[in-house]
Amino acid sequence: MIPDYSIGLLVAFAAAGLAFYALMRETDGLHRLLLTDLIEVVTLAFIALIGTDLAEALILPGLVVGVSELIALSEIYRIKEGYTLPPGPGLQIEVMESAPAILAALLVIYGIVLSGFSGGAVAGLGVIFYFLCRDHHERFELIETASGYSWVFWIVAFFVFMVFPQYWFFAVMLAGSAILVKVMAKMSLIGTMRGGPNA
Amino acid sequence: MPDIGGADLFVLEFGDILHYYTPYTATLFILAAIFTGLVIVSRPEGQIDIAFGGDAYYAKETAISEMRFRRFMAIACGLATMGAMGSGDLFNFTLFASLVGITNVGIVAAVKNRHVLDAAYEYGIVAMVATLPLFGGAALILATTGTLSIPALAAGGFAVPLIGRGLLALGVIGEGMAPFYAAKAEMFRAPGAPYVIMCSLSSLLIFLRVVEIVITI
Repeated sequence: MIPDYSIGLLVAFAAAGLAFYALMRETDGLHRLLLTDLIEVVTLAFIALIGTDLAEALILPGLVVGVSELIALSEIYRIKEGYTLPPGPGLQIEVMESAPAILAALLVIYGIVLSGFSGGAVAGLGVIFYFLCRDHHERFELIETASGYSWVFWIVAFFVFMVFPQYWFFAVMLAGSAILVKVMAKMSLIGTMRGGPNA
Repeated sequence: MPDIGGADLFVLEFGDILHYYTPYTATLFILAAIFTGLVIVSRPEGQIDIAFGGDAYYAKETAISEMRFRRFMAIACGLATMGAMGSGDLFNFTLFASLVGITNVGIVAAVKNRHVLDAAYEYGIVAMVATLPLFGGAALILATTGTLSIPALAAGGFAVPLIGRGLLALGVIGEGMAPFYAAKAEMFRAPGAPYVIMCSLSSLLIFLRVVEIVITI
């Protein structure tokens, strides 16, 4: 009987081989950028294969590194190719006028119920959708300030865990709500990325 | 296991995760610190290109905003390098190495020149792809030994797989690939000399550190 880990490793190595082969064959710049994402996913699979709590903690920084490099490279590609904002208004369809408020409200409320990282991701998705469909002349400073303060609260919660362990429930609540706001604020910025003046 | 770093000079423990400096890594750390200081105090060069076959020349100006961004990236690169020198945790080291890769891309990509951006894009793809062997190597070592702590692995008793070490070294080579793009002269033809030095120095330092790690564990 081959252990599960070895089978998973074999699949991951095969996927990595395929992804590298595709990257080697591809010559178009944008397609190569998309193929690097394929390799990022295999990287996360390698970490996920460990299958412990530690792996869960290691996936997040791995994901952040991958996403930040992807965003940086897309920005370089955009400037390199000289792509700019298309003139005139974008897509104008009815559903983008009426749906965002309802869907965003539902997702944000459900995200608040979930709280924590997953809640932040769900609520952030709602906010992204809202900003994507509606105008994005929002107040960047406000979002950034909220994100910064919530990060501080998150760190404070960790200090409470270490220094006053008896107040753990307060710290859990503080960390859960702070990370909700932080993830939501960070994700909502994605919905506003359209190469505008303050993007 | 061969101990090429020497005795520990300083150890800072956060539970399982620790930072430590041996004479070897302390030397590399001081080198990174000196160059970060130089980047902070120095001003960008005023590069002059001579038009071939005549007396004319072009004087290139570095815009203030571009200079500030590149200086910030160079300082961030120096800090990431310093972190990589002292880290006693394999995964933290890989994160610092990938941070060095990102900031190296940033140092070069701030120059709005088609050729420079082309080179930065190619290097960026290599740096991004290199996260696979980098994190893959660390994950393999964690899965087979159950620990990421470099001192614990160095103490012996673990069978660290050769492929794990190989992937780790390969990943760092990919992240620190910037100097090899010197062959693409465009990448280094960008004005603003002191900042580009940080690319070469950080790559050299993370190479030296990963060699020490791979031999020690």
